[in-house]
Amino acid sequence: MSKTTEERVEHALTALLERLLPSYPDDEEEDADERFDTAFSFALESLRSAGDPPIASDINHASDLINKKFIRENTPGKAIRFSNLYSKLLTQPVLNQKWAMLYFLYQLSDSDTPPILTESGSALHERLQSHRTNGVIQPTSSPGLSPQHSNERQFIVNSPAFNEAFSNAGLLKLPKTEEEKREKVLPPERQEKPSERRNGAVMKEEDVAAPESPLEHVSGPMNPSEPALLRDLPFTLQGLTSINLAFTEKSSLVFPTTLPVPLISLLHTLVEPALLYRNLSQFVESSEGGLVGQSFRSALGIELRAYLGLVATLEGQIRRALAMLDDSQPRHGIGKAGVTLKRCVIWTRDATMGLRLMSAMVENSKGKKGGELISLIHSFSLSHGDPFVGGFAERLLSHVTRPFYDMLRQWIYDGELSDPYQEFFVLEHHERNDDEITNGENRKGGATSVWDEKYTLNKRMVPSIVTEEFSNKVFLIGKTLNFIRHSCGDAAWVVSYSKEASRELRYGDTAALERSIGEAYKTTMARLIHLMADKFKLFDHLQALKKYILLGAGDFIAVLMESLSSNLDRPANTQYRHTLTAQLEHAVRNSNAQFDSPDVLRRLDSRMLELSHGEIGWDVFTLEYKIDAPVDVIVTPYGTKQYLKVFNFLWRVKRVEFELGSTWRRCMTGCRGVLGSVEDKLGADWKRVRGGIAEMIHFVNQLQYYILFEVIEASWSDLQAAMRKPESTLDDLISAHAKYLNSITRKGLLGAGGAVDFTNQLHELLKIMLGYKEAVDGLYGASVAEFTRRQELAARVENRTAKGGWGITERDDENSDAGTPLSLKPSIKGGKGRGSTDSPFPLSAAALGFTEGGESEDLLLQGLRTRLSALNADFKARVNVLLGDLYHQPDADMRWLAMVMNFNDVYQPVRRKRGVKGRERERGSVRETPAVGKERGEEAAKAK
Amino acid sequence: KMTPPQEVEVKRQAAREVINILEEISALLARPSLPQHQLSLCVSLIENGVNPEALANVIKALRTQYPVPLDLEEESEG
Repeated sequence: MSKTTEERVEHALTALLERLLPSYPDDEEEDADERFDTAFSFALESLRSAGDPPIASDINHASDLINKKFIRENTPGKAIRFSNLYSKLLTQPVLNQKWAMLYFLYQLSDSDTPPILTESGSALHERLQSHRTNGVIQPTSSPGLSPQHSNERQFIVNSPAFNEAFSNAGLLKLPKTEEEKREKVLPPERQEKPSERRNGAVMKEEDVAAPESPLEHVSGPMNPSEPALLRDLPFTLQGLTSINLAFTEKSSLVFPTTLPVPLISLLHTLVEPALLYRNLSQFVESSEGGLVGQSFRSALGIELRAYLGLVATLEGQIRRALAMLDDSQPRHGIGKAGVTLKRCVIWTRDATMGLRLMSAMVENSKGKKGGELISLIHSFSLSHGDPFVGGFAERLLSHVTRPFYDMLRQWIYDGELSDPYQEFFVLEHHERNDDEITNGENRKGGATSVWDEKYTLNKRMVPSIVTEEFSNKVFLIGKTLNFIRHSCGDAAWVVSYSKEASRELRYGDTAALERSIGEAYKTTMARLIHLMADKFKLFDHLQALKKYILLGAGDFIAVLMESLSSNLDRPANTQYRHTLTAQLEHAVRNSNAQFDSPDVLRRLDSRMLELSHGEIGWDVFTLEYKIDAPVDVIVTPYGTKQYLKVFNFLWRVKRVEFELGSTWRRCMTGCRGVLGSVEDKLGADWKRVRGGIAEMIHFVNQLQYYILFEVIEASWSDLQAAMRKPESTLDDLISAHAKYLNSITRKGLLGAGGAVDFTNQLHELLKIMLGYKEAVDGLYGASVAEFTRRQELAARVENRTAKGGWGITERDDENSDAGTPLSLKPSIKGGKGRGSTDSPFPLSAAALGFTEGGESEDLLLQGLRTRLSALNADFKARVNVLLGDLYHQPDADMRWLAMVMNFNDVYQPVRRKRGVKGRERERGSVRETPAVGKERGEEAAKAK
Repeated sequence: KMTPPQEVEVKRQAAREVINILEEISALLARPSLPQHQLSLCVSLIENGVNPEALANVIKALRTQYPVPLDLEEESEG
């Protein structure tokens, strides 16, 4: 500026200031003068230092700014007025610096203006800038931007590149210096450099050096200087507070407030690894979590140590560079020394990526442990596209999985679980209180609970480095070893096996791992089966169960039944255990059972079930076979109950067979003797009885044959096949045995499922048969009585004839007709009413003998006859119903049974509909032979 | 082809016109508006090449540093 202009400026400034500065009434003149002086000097200084305005004087730009301001303030009225004035102003010739005036006015207005982002600003600019960028900077915020204008209603894109591209703040004037050519290099570079992403652009040394001189010329000295920052950098990278860069709380860093903005963006990039490192080192120090967590921490610690190595190298470089600093050159010649902040950004880039990855892992791993943690890290190595990440995760994995493999090794070679933090995928359950298992059916006592419930597989904890099949195998192996050790008492073998076979397991060697697991699996399973078969004689016991409980040993059962039958006829509370046992011993000694091993015979026992009132011995007797651990893993207590159920049923059937057989025998032998002589009177009855008995015997025989051979033997052969399979495991055995029992109970008509209840039907039938037998016995007694009577008569006749009198007197006729000796008349008269027709109690021959007489006999006979026919009819009806149900079973064997029972179509199977039975019988069958129809009609009539 | 006094007169009128316009603009833009005399001084300063931004900042700084007491402000606005 020329002297005159300066003078004029001063003069004008003085005048302005005079007016501007208020005069306080209380002030003295000295103070006012002082104020004036300070203000004047300040104003002059700032005006001088400001120099030329940096922005090109474009009047349109100024009007744009003002218009924008109006828009922001949402006052279109003002905008209109302004445009009017503006156009008027433009026409005026007087004012030269129109733009400057407008700009001045604009600046004077109170609103916030977007700051001009220039590297070459005045000191005032800088002060303004730093005022705005002061404060705490979080590492995740975007780099180097001025804070948000929260009072702006519109969204303003405010990035350096954008602003430069669109000249929002006005086109920057090029500084008029000698190195103008070099300046030309500058603007395009500055367009590239500021960007939102932290991809340190590759800058060569010349580029770094070139703009520095003009920049130095334009900008003031940086505070703190770059060498100071570089000196602090190694400390910062380790997470330590330094003079210029101080860490506040856990995850934030405070920048000094006097740094220019691009430097701040560089520092952001450099500070990120520092903050990550701080977090990670804290995490690594912490010691919660299980074994896998600890190994994870140690793996991370190793990586962090590598990072610290890098920092050490960096520090060495920096120190050497700082020693070479030349103070004379601009910015201490730092560019030529080879270490700048920008260079450090590039050098720490890889480390930053690694640290970022580790932080991501740490973040995701919160709350996970054991197998889940391993899966997490494994997922990083598997599915991430970046090979850097994959390699990193692989490195970590081999470290982290070491405790896992230790646990695995112990589990498959020793069968012991050492898992203090529950990180393995096998969970151990401890002794449960009985309160938990309230449902009696679900209770599995003894060894079964050890096998089934002690360990469970926790699928969540299975790490993704092993497949599911693998984990199943591993689970089985360990379980088996544990079982062998504890329940089979074969700990010695386990120890020797683990000593010879145990080997180190490692991550990364999948083929070897698979092989070891396969071998271990085979060995342990084979050992277990071998133990079961030989030491515990599993198969022998199953065979014995079949022989005794399932009535496989016919000779033994026959002897037993014979000796017990008279005993068991008596009421239940007169049975004594020792008698039963004695009979059992007797049976064993007299049959082939005596050749069985003593161990088996030891377990065989007879028992009485709980009594209730009115039961006879037959109802409470049962055989029992004791099973110990560990065989009771296979023959569970539930299985034992099923066995007993089947025994009960078979025993009843056998009893009926026995009874009917003995009656039949009597009838047949009696035919020749006693019964022959009463043929005329009771012949017809006997014919019917014989038919009935034959029918029932046929039924029982078919039923028995079916159960013993079709059901039990077939299932047994299936069981044998399943058990002798070479690769069978204990689980296979258990399931095969369960299947065996299930098919027996189901096909043996004992199943409780479905709408058809075979058990009840069969029980009813058996009861009918027994009743029938008793009636037949009654008839037999009656026949015998008749026979004796006739014999007596004949004897008397002979006597009389021998004496010389008439053979048969009227009295005899009377007797034979009326049939009552005089002495016994009154009792008979009284006893007439005692014609118990439907009494189920056996009518012994003795009783009949007393009531001997034609009338009562006839009544008795009549009663017997009625009873016999009723029972017969009932039997037939029920068999029809049963056959009907059997025919409609899905199982082929049951249909076979129905077919065999009805091989000559004597029965008409009836399909029972739910509900009314009575109606059914009348409507039921289609074909009816006359005899059957008549009987059923009779029966129906009697039922009404 | 005006006579110098006429030219001066014209100039003065134009200047006055401009000052008026500027004053109106200033009124639109900001409150408190710059008093006329101060405005004309600023115009002369800027015409002499002073950095407008710097000048504006100076004025703002001085305003905040030495706030005008209320009664004086009323007087000067008149």
